[in-house]
Amino acid sequence: MCDRIECEGAGGISADLGCTRPTIVALHSRVDQMGIRVDENLERMLDGLRGVEHPLAVAIRTNDEIDRMLISLTYGCYELLEQGTVAAPDLRFVLSAMGIIPELDRVGHLALGVVNLVRENPQLARSGPVRDVVLATANDAVELFRTSLRAWSLQDLGLAAELTVGTCRLDLYLGRLVVELRRLRGPHADRVARSTFAAGRALERIADHSATIGRRLQYLLAGDPMHLTSAIECGAR
Amino acid sequence: MTETRSGFHQQLDVIQRDLLRVAARVAETVMRGTEALLDLDLLAARALIDGDGEIDALAFDVEERCFTALARQQPMGGDMRALVTALHLSSEIERSGDLMVNVAKATSHLFGSEIPPQLRGLLQAMSTEAVRLHRLAMDAYAEQDANLAAALDDIDDRLDQLHKDYIQAILELHADVPDVHVAVQLALIGRYYERIGDHAVNIGERVRYMVTGWLPEYESSARYAVRSQAPLESELR
Repeated sequence: MCDRIECEGAGGISADLGCTRPTIVALHSRVDQMGIRVDENLERMLDGLRGVEHPLAVAIRTNDEIDRMLISLTYGCYELLEQGTVAAPDLRFVLSAMGIIPELDRVGHLALGVVNLVRENPQLARSGPVRDVVLATANDAVELFRTSLRAWSLQDLGLAAELTVGTCRLDLYLGRLVVELRRLRGPHADRVARSTFAAGRALERIADHSATIGRRLQYLLAGDPMHLTSAIECGAR
Repeated sequence: MTETRSGFHQQLDVIQRDLLRVAARVAETVMRGTEALLDLDLLAARALIDGDGEIDALAFDVEERCFTALARQQPMGGDMRALVTALHLSSEIERSGDLMVNVAKATSHLFGSEIPPQLRGLLQAMSTEAVRLHRLAMDAYAEQDANLAAALDDIDDRLDQLHKDYIQAILELHADVPDVHVAVQLALIGRYYERIGDHAVNIGERVRYMVTGWLPEYESSARYAVRSQAPLESELR
């Protein structure tokens, strides 16, 4: 047993002097929880694109909670580091968590952005070839995010590596979107194209942030500098 | 003790200087990559792809030195934030370099096609704006200028608008870009420039935190605390 010295400031993570293991476990779990909150807003985003409405206030409240977690965990990690009791392997873990937390937060903001966009542009949720491409993009982006959460939760190198190549599919959707948008005609074509592209851009970013989580995990789990060389190989296909 | 701290600050200075060097290399890469794209110069594009390994190695070296300094020196307060910021900035900078690798790869896929004059102008403007943002972000870092760092999000609006205009132009230029494959490649390229702007904004957020210890999410987080009647201070200290 370690002698525990509670540190209330550490983002809800109790910190120990001389034994940081429980603290690291708590940090792991708190980042998991933050990911779950982000996932809830992603599910609302998917529902919105499917034409199912949720109260906007709920999505905003969840997003505020995600922001609170970001602040709490960031400050907590700094306090943990400043105690100077984190051993080298755990230090890499804490630094990786500090890299992943802002990525989760940005995904949360993007999800809320799409929820808003669909409310302001209901045509995005109306069935048709353009909506189909957007929805397929959204499903894949969310799937990538969920893979990144699983990779983080399980600290699974294989899943983390999958994420790096997984974003390639999103480029294919962009291609399909360009094709469909070029076919649009009529007085509202411009507006539909603009809002659709804004949604597509947010979804691609969600996928990119998920891939970044994968790269950070690869570095954490394998100490692999190749995470730096994995320029998006599919980018120019 | 004084000598140790002084040694640490020297290390930190060298890390910051090297980070600025990597960033300068990336800015050059954006300009050379754009030239290669507009001239459809495959040799120049190839050289850019080959040169990315060096940027990756420099960024990795900075990351490792940050990690070692954190493990050995146990800095506090502003020093800790400076080191963690440097660690995260190296990743943001390196990703911007990767995005230009993607532009170079797309250049080879465009060989034999022509880029319409309207798009050439917009590509050049996006490139100039991306370099400007990237440099401003690094200026904010070098000068520890929290105001400039905070302004980057608004400055990025111009690049976002250019990107929107560019996509609109691609969708409208049916006659000039009849080949869908070319239109898709061009759309992807636009996205890469826009992402460089995003990385600059991310750098700004990190710099702002480094200088002030303040996160932009604080307001929404406080809103959540009021709604949920859980005082924010209890979690943050």
